[in-house]
This record gives sequence, structure tokens and C-alpha cells, in this order.
Amino acid sequence: MNKPYKIVILVLSVLLQSCVSGPKKPPENLLALTEAQLKIRSYQTKVFEVDDQMKAVRGVVQALQDLGFIVERVNGPMGMVTAGKFAGSGRSGFVELTVIVRAKGEVRTEIRVNALFNTAPIEDPKIYQNFFRVVQRSLFVSG
Amino acid sequence: MLFGNSYKLGALVALGCILLTSGCSRMATPESFFELSPTYNQDKALQTRFFDTSNHGELVSASAAVLQDLGFQIEESEVDVGLLRAVKERSAREWGQEIARTFLMMLGMVGGKVILLPVDLQQQISATLTVSPVNDNPNRFGARIIFHRKIWKGDGYTGNGPILPGEWRLEMIDDKLIYQKFFYKLSKSIFLEAHQI
Repeated sequence: MNKPYKIVILVLSVLLQSCVSGPKKPPENLLALTEAQLKIRSYQTKVFEVDDQMKAVRGVVQALQDLGFIVERVNGPMGMVTAGKFAGSGRSGFVELTVIVRAKGEVRTEIRVNALFNTAPIEDPKIYQNFFRVVQRSLFVSG
Repeated sequence: MLFGNSYKLGALVALGCILLTSGCSRMATPESFFELSPTYNQDKALQTRFFDTSNHGELVSASAAVLQDLGFQIEESEVDVGLLRAVKERSAREWGQEIARTFLMMLGMVGGKVILLPVDLQQQISATLTVSPVNDNPNRFGARIIFHRKIWKGDGYTGNGPILPGEWRLEMIDDKLIYQKFFYKLSKSIFLEAHQI
């Protein structure tokens, strides 16, 4: 077969392929929980022996201030706190987070934090452990 | 020839090591994002005062009044949690920067290349205040205020092309006098003595 024919067939087959497949659909598992996501959620969540949701919110705000974060928004009844700070090499990056505080039963409170660094989710469990250590200190250590 | 190649290789390795070590010394690891800084206690002491009162709402509203007196606009308030956020905008021009810009421009003109250093133009000063009970004591509240500012730079010229305006940076304000002045005004405003940590 001549070379020009080969090229024409190749182009036609590519065009035909694009017609058949049509526009791309979003993946079916877009909103499905994967095992990795469940694992990350477990790092991001911790339950504290605090019977007052508002006290837990205040504790989170204090912890964030201790860590040098700028608290942007707080909604007490909803238990939501958003904050951010510059960090990383030469303070060129930006860490932002959302904390949700929810009563879990009558004597416990669940705190969940989602943190991003330069808009990419932080998935390192050690980072979240450090955060909860400071929250614990803020909730239970006086001053 | 062989000696030359190994010499180049050695120089490259040395350069790589220098770059790596200098990078390591400046690089903040992500784990440190949620670690307390060594100056955390001093910072907290500077930013916090305690008041013997049972009325936390009054402390929040008095703080809002003091911030208004200082020219701030209240942007957000959440009395249940005891949070206030206020901002004010001011010029950020400084003589030092203007002198440095003029000096560099004159130096550039002598060398045949005009260099215009961008200088700070405008700043937005923000105050975030929180009021919370101390050790669950309903008669003693701590007020903590943190001042920071966002500064915008103007335009400039590198000698080869323009530097566009709009570059900005964020700075924490840690001038003792500013915090002392705020708490002095606050204690005057609510007729209460402000106790330090």
C-alpha cells in the first residue's frame, strides 16, 4: 500500500474513533468513597472528651492562633472555622484549612480538619497528629 | 583530558551539594505547619490580656468600639465564640524605600540602564480578636488580639522590561507598643484592669 493511503486511513480511523466515543463522561466513581479517602478521613478526625461544642470551637480557634494562623471565618452554632497562613520554603506557600466541630453524644465532641497546601490536599497523617496535639493542649491545658 | 573531566565532575558534585544544603537550611517541612514556633509563648503573652469580668459580650463590644476609635472597620463578628475581625487601609510609603529607589535609579543612569525598584504603596491592616473564659472561670476572660498587614507594591523597571504593580506580601505585626496601646485603650473603655500572662 502506498504511503499517502496509509496516512489517509490513519486520519480517518482517528476521526471515526472520536465520533464513536463522543464527549467524555465523568467517571462513575467520582463521588464514591475509596479506601484511601476513608483512611485520610480517619487521620483528619479526632474525638475529644468535651461536652460543650462552643468550648471546642474556642479551643480550635485558640490552637490556630497559637500556630500562627489567621482565622478568617467562624460559625459557632455550625461549629465551623476556616483559617490560613503562609508557610513552606521562604513563606512562599499557603496553608488553608476548614475545621468542623460536631457534638458526638452528650459528653464528646468530634473535630474534623481538612488542610490544603497550595490548593493540594495534605494527606500526611503526621501533620494532622501535630494539629490535634496543639488542639488537645488548647482544650485541656490552662492559660 | 581525564583530569579535566574528573575536575568538572567534582565541581558539579560540589555545586550540587551546596545547592542541596542551602535548600535544606531554608526548607520548612510540611510537618512544621502545625507545630508551635519557639516564640509562641512570647507572642501569646504580647497578644493577650486577662480581665476580671463576667460579661464577655461587653468585652467584645468594648473591643469593637476601641477598634473603631483606631480607624478600623468591623468585618466579621461572632459573639457566641467571641470573635471580631476588623480592617483598615493606609498608605505604606516609606522614606527609606523612596531614597533607595532614587539612589538605584541614579546609579543605573550612570551605568546607562534605568532600574526602578518597586516600593510599597498601600497596606491593609487587619485585627483578629478573640475573647474566651480562662480555665472555664465565668468571671475571668482572656482577650487576644493579633494584628497583621497585607502590603501591595507599585510598579518598577528592571532595565530590560517593566515590573507590573500588584505584587503583595503578608506580615505579622509584632510591635509591642501597638498591642500595649490597644489594651490600654480597652481597659480604659471598660474601666477594668488588664492583667498580663
